[in-house]
Amino acid sequence: MQNLYDENLRWWKWEIKSKPSIFSLGLREIYYNRGLILRLVRRDLLASYYQTLIGPFWIFLQPLLTTLVYIIIFDKFAKIRTGSDIPPLLFYLPGSIIWAFFSDCLSGTMFTFIANAHIFSKVYFPRLVVPLSNTITQAIRLSIQCLLFLVIYLYYYLRYHNVDPAPILLLLPYLVILTAGFALGTGLIASVFVAKYRDLETFIQFLLRLFMFATPVVYSSSIVPEEYRAIFWLNPLTPIIETFRSAFLTNGPETFYYLKIASVEVFVIFIIGLFLFKRREVKVMDII
Amino acid sequence: MGKLILKAENISKHYRLGRVGSTTLKQDIYDFFRKNSFFKGSNKQQVPEAVDYPNDIWALKDINLDVCEGDVLGFVGKNGSGKSTLLKILSRICIPTTGTIKGRGRIASLLEVGTGFHAELTGRENIYLNGQILGLNTRQINERFDKIVDFSGIEKFLDTPVKRYSSGMYVRLAFSVAAHMEADIMMIDEVLAVGDSEFQMKCLAKMKEIAKTEGKTVLFVSHNMQTIRNLCNKALYLDKGRISDLGNPDKVIFNYLKKEQVEYLFQEYDDIQDAPGNNIIRIKRAEIVPDYGNGPKKIRTDTALTIQFEFWYTGLPEIDMAVSILVFSFAGECVFDTRSAFTKIRQGIAMGECTIPANFLNDGSYYISMAFVRSDNTLLYEFDICLSFEIEDAAKLDNWYGKWMGYVRPNFTVDLNQKQIL
Repeated sequence: MQNLYDENLRWWKWEIKSKPSIFSLGLREIYYNRGLILRLVRRDLLASYYQTLIGPFWIFLQPLLTTLVYIIIFDKFAKIRTGSDIPPLLFYLPGSIIWAFFSDCLSGTMFTFIANAHIFSKVYFPRLVVPLSNTITQAIRLSIQCLLFLVIYLYYYLRYHNVDPAPILLLLPYLVILTAGFALGTGLIASVFVAKYRDLETFIQFLLRLFMFATPVVYSSSIVPEEYRAIFWLNPLTPIIETFRSAFLTNGPETFYYLKIASVEVFVIFIIGLFLFKRREVKVMDII
Repeated sequence: MGKLILKAENISKHYRLGRVGSTTLKQDIYDFFRKNSFFKGSNKQQVPEAVDYPNDIWALKDINLDVCEGDVLGFVGKNGSGKSTLLKILSRICIPTTGTIKGRGRIASLLEVGTGFHAELTGRENIYLNGQILGLNTRQINERFDKIVDFSGIEKFLDTPVKRYSSGMYVRLAFSVAAHMEADIMMIDEVLAVGDSEFQMKCLAKMKEIAKTEGKTVLFVSHNMQTIRNLCNKALYLDKGRISDLGNPDKVIFNYLKKEQVEYLFQEYDDIQDAPGNNIIRIKRAEIVPDYGNGPKKIRTDTALTIQFEFWYTGLPEIDMAVSILVFSFAGECVFDTRSAFTKIRQGIAMGECTIPANFLNDGSYYISMAFVRSDNTLLYEFDICLSFEIEDAAKLDNWYGKWMGYVRPNFTVDLNQKQIL
């Protein structure tokens, strides 16, 4: 009898319960589906440039045009002080690249269930595959944009000698991971709620637009009044963007302390998002 | 009999109907505080109390199911009986409200063709994308790639975006990918057979091939009793979310046709109050009388069928009306629709009959609906799916053992002569 019982235990390879275990993240399953993640990345990259005139060059053009508009509006017209003497192109470009990365990751993740309902209702695979592939897609775009930034930076460096790289530059990959974690965490939390209550979609898009102004994308953190700084720097994106900027400049603000706080915040948000998503991923299909 | 490969214990699925809105938010918050013992300090079991709300339904209730290696299990049941829900739960798409499912091996759920196809991508890219979504890896798809392309017959268009495909080409490619999945447990919905009738036959043949492959476990949803009978070694009849019958396909199908409102060959009502109908028409009797002749008591393609019906007419004193008889295949397609002449009927009982000659309908399952129409073409009453019958192949003719194509099989003369000798 005992033997039979043991054999039964070994025989079953998987089990679906009505209540998923809180602590199972299914990381092995995600590893098993790594091919699918890459396939979806390929799909998104290919599909977005099929039947377009300049194809992949949009990756460069988007941040360049955005930066151009920022320069005209905020630098030339509104004359907002950038707080340093760096060329405006080098000042606005990192902010708009990082912001676009964050915002695309977040919106992509947020619509995981809504945009893929037709697939999710027919086939099972770990749902986390979709937001992960979206994040990787955006990260690839980001790295291409970073190359663009590098080229422009080198131009200024060689031609004017007015910008200097700082050793904090080595933190660049970490900044990207931090941004991705922040976007993914908030996105995962949002996706679960957006799937049930569609009006949250409008609300979150609206918040995202406001959030851009709480982040030093089009201005420098030095123009923020002293009494608001404590709150201002709690935004994880603030130290990320400021570090990115100061990595290429000598006289940027000291951000190391705030970066540590941001890391803790992002970690907490990411873990909450991950568990919430994992817990709801299959249930959500009943209400979508 | 092989070893157990899938075991479902006590599966129930609960849905809350109605719209999602502010009430659901209130409900969510209420549930959150009620269910989370953390806030109450008690350790109450967390089973939703469905009876509380009128909008709640149980799509499945107390399903226990053992599937062995090599089983081909057919699911029958009316629309809405929970077949698809059960298939979805077993393939992990939905989560059951109660119960557990244990299994081993990889599941491929083929509930739809072309899951995840991207319109902008080429056929080639989509084969990989679709295959990977269905659970294969790149190496496995490479191995099957040629077979998939061969089966679909679209090799010329492999590098064209699928949005430029005709709908026929699209479903061919999509089915081909699905048909070449190999998994330990396959969940197949019959709607998978797509495209023109020629390709549908090819699809069904492929599904048979999959089902007949040694040691493959297949769960199969079909509306065609003949297919279930041919393919499956076990059938499951679901009625309103409960297992009504499970076991030998012949027995299960018989119970299914008998027990559903579909009362096989005969239904009769003595009491006008209980009879189906409305305040103008009430059905008294509907019956299929087969003319077996001297042969065995089986409806075959060479059996003439007479459909007889009687009804009470309780409308205006006199009416000019006609009765239509519609024969449908079990896939839901209308085979034909034939109508009586308009006739003056007075209050009371009217009757009529219609004969489907021998050697007209092909083998397969059919059902009959009747429509009662007034002379100005107003529909008085529709007696939907009132009778059903199944036709067996009369004789295995010549060397042809496959299924005849089409819904009708008339014996038209086909002349064949030698014209010239070379």
